[in-house]
Amino acid sequence: MRVTQSMLSSNMLRNLSTSYSKMGKLQNQITSGSKISRPSDDPVIAVKGIGYRTNLNKVEQYQRNMNEVNNWLDTSDDTLDHVGIALIRTQELVTQAANDSNTPEDREKMKAEIDQLKLQIRDLANTKVGEKYLFSGTNTLSPVFSADGTTFMGQPFTKGAASTITPTSGFTNSVEIEVYDGVNLNVNTDAFGMFAQIDDLLTNVQNKLSNPVSSGTEIGALLGDISKAQNTVLENRADIGARQNRVEMMINRLATQEVVVTKQLSDNEDIDYEKAITEMVTQESIHQASLSVGAKIIQATLVDFIR
Amino acid sequence: MGSTFMGLETSKRGLTTQQSALFTTGHNISNANTIGYSRQRVNMEATLGYPGTGLNAPKIAGHLGTGVQAQSVQRIRDQFIDRQYRQESTKLGYWETRANAISQVEDIVTEPSEYGLNTALDQFWNSLQDLSGSPENAATRKVVVQRALHVADSFNYIHKQLSDIQANLGNEINVSTKAINSILKQIATLNEQIQAVEPNGYMPNDLYDARDKLVDELSQYFPIEIDPVPPGGNALAIAEGSLTVSIKLKDGTTLELVNGKNHASLETVDTSGAILDGTKLSNGFNGINITGLGVGKSISYDQLDPSKGKLVSLIDSYGHGGTVGVFTDPSKGYYPNILAQLDKMAEAFAEAFNEIHKSGSDLDGKAGLNFFVDEISGADTSVSASNITVNKDIIDNVSKIAASNAAPITPPAEPEVGNGKNAILLANMKTLTLGSTTDINKDGIAFKNHLDGATVQSFYQSIIGQLGVDGEQANTLTTNAGTILLTVENNRASVSSVSLDEEMTNMITFQQAYNANARMITVIDETLDKIINGMGRVGL
Repeated sequence: MRVTQSMLSSNMLRNLSTSYSKMGKLQNQITSGSKISRPSDDPVIAVKGIGYRTNLNKVEQYQRNMNEVNNWLDTSDDTLDHVGIALIRTQELVTQAANDSNTPEDREKMKAEIDQLKLQIRDLANTKVGEKYLFSGTNTLSPVFSADGTTFMGQPFTKGAASTITPTSGFTNSVEIEVYDGVNLNVNTDAFGMFAQIDDLLTNVQNKLSNPVSSGTEIGALLGDISKAQNTVLENRADIGARQNRVEMMINRLATQEVVVTKQLSDNEDIDYEKAITEMVTQESIHQASLSVGAKIIQATLVDFIR
Repeated sequence: MGSTFMGLETSKRGLTTQQSALFTTGHNISNANTIGYSRQRVNMEATLGYPGTGLNAPKIAGHLGTGVQAQSVQRIRDQFIDRQYRQESTKLGYWETRANAISQVEDIVTEPSEYGLNTALDQFWNSLQDLSGSPENAATRKVVVQRALHVADSFNYIHKQLSDIQANLGNEINVSTKAINSILKQIATLNEQIQAVEPNGYMPNDLYDARDKLVDELSQYFPIEIDPVPPGGNALAIAEGSLTVSIKLKDGTTLELVNGKNHASLETVDTSGAILDGTKLSNGFNGINITGLGVGKSISYDQLDPSKGKLVSLIDSYGHGGTVGVFTDPSKGYYPNILAQLDKMAEAFAEAFNEIHKSGSDLDGKAGLNFFVDEISGADTSVSASNITVNKDIIDNVSKIAASNAAPITPPAEPEVGNGKNAILLANMKTLTLGSTTDINKDGIAFKNHLDGATVQSFYQSIIGQLGVDGEQANTLTTNAGTILLTVENNRASVSSVSLDEEMTNMITFQQAYNANARMITVIDETLDKIINGMGRVGL
């Protein structure tokens, strides 16, 4: 085959530009850390990449939702703890009062404390996380007990008969947060029964204490109701505790999932740096070589020898 | 007996012939880097011997050589390589243009990345999840609206950019047609010049080169067939004649575009009959109308040879067929197809989202409105990728986002502000399979628009996947055609390009021959000197 200068130089140019484009691609991979920069580089990686990104985003969002769930459950548990403490104090006071040796003044003092305990429990029922009332079901902007104490769960009520009202629907609804695909976790506690029971109980105690004819035995009979109320609180706390356990497991699962998805994402499209850099160095030396060969492309022709 | 001066005459011929060969060598060296130039050589032939036959011919030993003459100057070229080159150039023209068109789509969708439509959808989903956790929070609601606007904007942006490129492609079709017309005209002009020169017995080599270069250029636009027409008059047998250039159609028939000095003028028109220049995207390519040579003929899309040439590639990308006012059938063109898929996705996405949104109730306990609407009409029935936006009422008042799944209420009943269950449904709409018109999701909502059993996200992934596969194919075939073309180009260079070493060798050969001829003349001069000045001087 006849070979001419123009063939040599055009081949040379083409090889140089191929070498450049290979280097460009490798440089792009190394600086971006990704095997591909457009779908046509590898359609499979591209489509998988989109899916993995969405998965990772999902896991991260569920983890964020977990914070919210923990917020609800921890605060609920804490609040119920305080309700329990208040009930223990009530129990102490009632035990003390269930004694005919108390003077009316003593009972007056006890009643004053019971009054405060009742207000405290109502305050606890109105506990807020951020701007939300914890025990108001989905009516999170309305308190369980109105400030003036005339309405309970959106309905007016007579003292001592809180448990007879039918609360406004939203107050008994559950608040749910999605913690995994299709898994919705109930984060609030339906506190209607509990707070109605406690409030009625405390009203009862108040009434008995303020009634001078109540005998110590009559007052002592309330202790049974108090332990029932304590049991209700404990049941609710047990329920919250169980959900906290579930959340704990879910958090661990999400953490594992995050690692797995991140790894998938990385395996799918991240470059192997050792490999890419080695290839880059190889490509550089090939380029150097082709440049130095290129410098010789303008060979001495006969012109140089004809004098 | 021959003339005394015959030798002078012979050597003189030698001198001029070697000189013309030397000049041709100079011409080759000068054009060593001219694109499209083929090296030339002087065809030398021995002149007729002496004596000629005839009654009075001298009875001597014959024929006596009378020297050399330059019979013709010919370019060195292989027509078969040219043919091969043009076939490959047509293929490269198609795939290169297609790869370019697809890579522009890729540039716009920017997937996979942290800022494409997919990310916008993911972020929107995040904001809805956050909303389900704090539905009463105005800031969370604001974020939802902003993320929703981001999704809508992403749709709008992609649609707008793709339409712009489609318009550019339309313009490129128009510009290409003009370029083709210019080439046809130039070929016709060269034909005319060649026809004027050839009958005189000359070889217009440089005109041939120019004409071949134009034919090469033309071949990247569509498949062509060339047919030389032998010249008349006193033309040399090796003269190439005028060139008839035809376009090769799908069914193997051809249509003449250049015949002698006559040429056709092409005009690409859209379905409305107007010149296709990308200003009216609603009409696809309809045909190529011909004026000049072959006036009145036209070529429809179906007649064009598929997958060959830049022009068909541009039309394939731009779209063809369709009626006025109605967008071209999406299957007829790459860009219309992608745009139609985006529209379908936006439409189904908006409808499914709206249905779920409307089934919920907002912060005031009222039933949800349409969330995504048509930007222009405000209706929810005509949503497409180009006009999708968030309902203005919701942008103005974020409390209208229906995050709650409680039944709508009438005041003064108290709304369930902390109910975020509908927000969860809205968030999970993304993973809802939009199967067919009869499919009903788990909440009993039927969807009119559907994505053939895909979710919004997987439908988008399939668009990207298809794009990637098409791009990969186009890139591979571009590389293949490019490589083949390069081989053919090398073959052609091997035959036609100027080798300086060779020219140097020729230069020495011709120079030495010239010198030798000159020396011969000196020798004959000396013999003449001997006769004239040295003879008959006996005794002097």
